[in-house]
Amino acid sequence: MASGCLLSNCISGRTRAAFGRAVLYLAMLAVAGGSACAEERLHVVIDRLVALQTPDYDKLAAPVCTDEEFVRRIYLDLAGMIPTAAETRAFLADAEPNKREKLVDKLLASPEHARHMQRVFDVMLMRRLPQKHVPVAEWEKFLRESFAQNKPWDEIVRAILTADGGEAANLGPARFYLDREGDVNEITRDIGKLFLGANLECAQCHNHPQIEDFKQQHYYGISAFFVRSFVMTDKEKHVVFAEKADGETKFESVFEIRDKTSKGPQTTAPKLFEGMSISEPKFEKIDDAYRVKPNDKDKTVRPVPRFSRRIKFAEFIASAENRRFCRTSANRLWALMFGRGLVHPVDLDHTDNPPSHPLLLAMLTEEFARQQLDIRLFLREIALSKTYQRSSRRDEPGTAGAQGAEKPQTNDSQFAQALLKPLTPAQFAWSILQATGEADLNRQALGDKLTEAALHEKLVGYEQRFVQLFGGEPGHPREHFESTTDQVLFLANDPMVINLLKPRGGNLAERLLKMPEDNPGQIAEELFLSTLNRRPAAEDILDVTGLLAGQTGDARSIAVQELIWATISSSEFRFNH
Amino acid sequence: MECKYACGSAEHVSRRTFLSGSAGALGAISFSGMVQARAAEQLASQQKRCVVFWLSGGVSQLETWDPKPDTDTGGPFQAIPTSVPGTHISELLPYTAQQMHHLALVRGINTKEGDHGKGAYIMETGHPQTPGFDYPYIGSAFSSLLSPPDNPLPGYICVAGGGNAREASFLGPRFAPVGLADGKPPANLALPEGLSADGDRRRRELRSKLNGRFVQGRRQVETEAYNSSYDQAAALIARREIFDFGTIPDTDHERYGRHDFGRHCLMARKLIESGVTFVKVTHTNYDTHSENFNFHLEQLGEFDRPFAAFVSDLADRGLLAHTLIIVMCEFGRTPRINHLVGRDHWGNAWSIAVGGAGIKGGAVVGKTNANGTQVTEREVSGGHLFHTYYRAVGLDPTKAFWHEGRPFHKADPKTEPITEILA
Repeated sequence: MASGCLLSNCISGRTRAAFGRAVLYLAMLAVAGGSACAEERLHVVIDRLVALQTPDYDKLAAPVCTDEEFVRRIYLDLAGMIPTAAETRAFLADAEPNKREKLVDKLLASPEHARHMQRVFDVMLMRRLPQKHVPVAEWEKFLRESFAQNKPWDEIVRAILTADGGEAANLGPARFYLDREGDVNEITRDIGKLFLGANLECAQCHNHPQIEDFKQQHYYGISAFFVRSFVMTDKEKHVVFAEKADGETKFESVFEIRDKTSKGPQTTAPKLFEGMSISEPKFEKIDDAYRVKPNDKDKTVRPVPRFSRRIKFAEFIASAENRRFCRTSANRLWALMFGRGLVHPVDLDHTDNPPSHPLLLAMLTEEFARQQLDIRLFLREIALSKTYQRSSRRDEPGTAGAQGAEKPQTNDSQFAQALLKPLTPAQFAWSILQATGEADLNRQALGDKLTEAALHEKLVGYEQRFVQLFGGEPGHPREHFESTTDQVLFLANDPMVINLLKPRGGNLAERLLKMPEDNPGQIAEELFLSTLNRRPAAEDILDVTGLLAGQTGDARSIAVQELIWATISSSEFRFNH
Repeated sequence: MECKYACGSAEHVSRRTFLSGSAGALGAISFSGMVQARAAEQLASQQKRCVVFWLSGGVSQLETWDPKPDTDTGGPFQAIPTSVPGTHISELLPYTAQQMHHLALVRGINTKEGDHGKGAYIMETGHPQTPGFDYPYIGSAFSSLLSPPDNPLPGYICVAGGGNAREASFLGPRFAPVGLADGKPPANLALPEGLSADGDRRRRELRSKLNGRFVQGRRQVETEAYNSSYDQAAALIARREIFDFGTIPDTDHERYGRHDFGRHCLMARKLIESGVTFVKVTHTNYDTHSENFNFHLEQLGEFDRPFAAFVSDLADRGLLAHTLIIVMCEFGRTPRINHLVGRDHWGNAWSIAVGGAGIKGGAVVGKTNANGTQVTEREVSGGHLFHTYYRAVGLDPTKAFWHEGRPFHKADPKTEPITEILA
C-alpha cells in the first residue's frame, strides 16, 4: 500500500493532511482482518471497505472507467453539467498520471460547483416549496456562498436552524422555517429525514407500525423543540419566527385511542431519540423566563425568551458531536455521488435496515466528524476512489458471449458498477446548452464580462423550464426516474430545444456543417465529443455517414440537426453513467 | 432504482411492467411496434371508461336531484316527472329528466364536510384528508387501473383545463391529469417546422441505434423506461387527430349548445370514443351564496341539454355500457335559504347522479326528510360511493394500493358498495 500521500495542492485547508490519514478505523480494519498503513488515504480505505463486504468483489466489479466516462461523470457530479468539447479534448489529451485528481480539484474550486451544490441542497432542504416570506434568491445566495466558501456543513445547518428572519442581512437561511410557515409538524418531519436519517412521519400519530426504532415519543421529542415557536409579523413588518417561554407537546396514540387502552395524552421533554436530552433552566414565574415579554394588547411585540429551545436545538443537532447527524450527512453525500446511499433509502436509518457496508459508513462518519464536516474534502476523497470511478458497463460489448458466460449479476448495494443516475432538470438543461454550443455562444457574447453568474443569468430561463417539466410538483420534487410523454414531446418538438439545434454563430450545428463533406469521421468526432464526451465508435461513424450521405444544402442542415437531436435525446445523454 | 410507485414489490421493476402485471418479463417485451396494434385491439374490447361532470362550487341538490317543492326550503322551482315512473327531479333539468332511465340517484349523501377543498378531496378520493396519506384521485386511480398498459393516449384528461399533477400521488406522473386549456391539444404534438415525417423517423432510428449500443453491459431498467416514453410519444403523435375537435359536425354543436360547456361535452364524447379512460368535464359557478335560484336557472339551463345529449349519444353508440358517468361536486347546498336568497355549503344531506357502466338505470337510493335537512334512509359517504364506482367498472375496491409498505385503501373498508344501484 502506497504510503506517500499524493495530496495535491489545490485544496486549501486546515485539515488536508490529516484527512488523508486513517486513524480511528485502523482498529476496525484490524478487527475485520484488513491491514492498513497509517498514511493510507481515505479513498483507498473506501475501496478496501467496499470490497471487503462482497465476496469475490474484484471479480464481480466493473473496471475503472475510461477517461471519456470519467470526464463526463465528474463534470456532471461536481459542476452540474457536461464539459464542452474543448474541455473534453483537453482532458483526454492530458498525459499527466494524476490528471483525474487535478480535474476533481479544479471542479471543486469552481463557481459552477457552488451553484450545483446550491441547487442540490435547495431541493433537498426545501423540496421546491413555493416562496412565501423569504425571496428564493436570498436563500439560494446563502447556500451558494456557503458552498463557495466551503463552510463546514454543521455551520451551514446551524445558520439555517437559528435564522429567524429578524435580521434583514440574514434573511436567506430563514426560508427553512418561514416558508414552511413555521408548521411544527412539517419542521419535525423534515428535520428527522434531513439530519437524522429518520422518516418519522408515521410516528406523528402512533409508534411506527413497521419500524421498531421509530416511536411516537421520538417524534414529539423533536417537535418539543419547536412547539413554542410561531410565525408573526413584528413592529418593523418583518415576518419572523418568534418563540415563547412556555408550551409543551401533547400526544396520544390513535391506535391506543381506538383500542381504548390510552392512558390519556402524554408529553415529553425536548430530546433526540433515547437519552440525548438537554437541560433547561427553571424559572419561578413565567415572566422571569422572558427577556421581552409577550404583550396581549400589542401583537406586534415579539417575545424573546431567556432560554430558546430552538437555538439550543440547532447547537445540539448540527455538531460533529452528534454522530447521528454526521452519519446521515455522510450517507447523503455518498448518495449524491453514487445515486444510492449506504443506508438506503437515506431517511430510513434504523436497526432493521442496516447499511450495505456498516464498517464503511462507520468509518466515513468518524472521518467526516474528525474533518469538521468539510464537504469538499469529503467529496474529493469519494471522487478519487476506484469505487466511484467504476464503469457503469461491466462487460465490453461482445466479450461476454465470446467467453461463454456473462459475469454474474451484481446488485446496486454492492457498488460494483456505477449506477445510471438520471440527470437532474438543471443538469439536463445545462448539458444541452453545453452540447449544442449555446453556452459557448453566450460566453463569447459576454466577452470581458463573462462570469459564472453572468452566464447563469442569461441562460436561467432554460433551467427554469426544465425544472418545471422534469422537476415534479412544488413540495414534492421527483425523486425517482420517471419519463412522461409531455417531457418527450418537449424534447422532440418544442422550439426551445429545436432552436438550439439550428446552425448559428459557430454553435455545434454550424461547426458540423462547415466541416468537409467528404470526411464524416471528423464530423462524427466533433458531434460525439460535444454531446457525449467521447470519440465515436466505428458503428457511430457509419451511422453518421449513412444519415448525411447525399444530403446537401438545406437538407444537409436538417440532417445535421437530426444527428444532434439523436445524441442529446439518447439514453447515454439522459443519464449520468 | 427503487420503484416508488409499485405495490411494495421488489426493486427494479419498471412501472410499465408493473402495470402490465408481468413483472417477471422485464426486458422481454419488445415495446415498439406493439403499441399501435395493442391499442387498436384494446379499443375494440370492453375497456371500461369513466366521465365525471364536476359541478364546481357545489350544485344545489334541491334544484337538481332531490327537489322539495312547496316546503320552507324548496325554493321557487317545481319537480317534474322523468322517464322513470315515480322519480321526479327539478324542473331545471327537463332534458336530463328524459334520460333518467340511464341514471341512478344517490339521495342520502352525508360527507359532513363544508369546505371546498376538503369536500372535493372526499368526493374525488373517497377519503377525508389524513396527514401522511395522499390518496390518488379517482381520475388517476382509474387511469392506472383501467388503461391498457400500452395505450398511447393519456389516461386522464380534463377537457376544461386544470387538474393538478398532485392528484396522481404515488401512482406517478404518468397518471396525472392532462389539461386541455381552452380546448387546445397537449403541447408539442406537431413536428418542428422543416422536419418531415421521414426526417423524424430518421432521427428516432439513429437515437434507437445509439441506445442499443449504450445499454450493452449496462443496467436497463431506467433506459427502458426512458425509451418506452419515446414510443408512447410517437404513438400519441400518430393519433393526434383525437384532439382535432374541428371535425365535430355542426349539427352536434347545434344539439349541444354553442357555449364552452356544450363544446366540452362534445370533446369528452370524442375522447371517450377514441379510447381515453377517464375524462373530467368541469362546469363552474355553482357556489351560490347569493341569488341561488337565478344562478341555478342560468347554469343548469346550460348544463341540462348537452349533458342529456351526451348520455343519449353514448347510449346510441353502445358506449354507455362501458362508460361510468358521475355527476358530482364538493358538497350540496343548505336547505335554508339565506338573506341574500342564496344557499351555503352543505355536506350533510345531498345527492349525486351516476349512470352507465355497471349502474342500474332508473334506480334511486337514499332519502332525505320532507324539507331536505336530514338523511332519513340509507345514509352514505365517500367510502360507499368509491366502493360503488369501483364495482361499477369491474374493479375490486377491497384490494388496497400498496405504497412504501403501507396500504392505501381504494375505498374505506368500513363501508360497502351501494348494491341497490349496481346492475
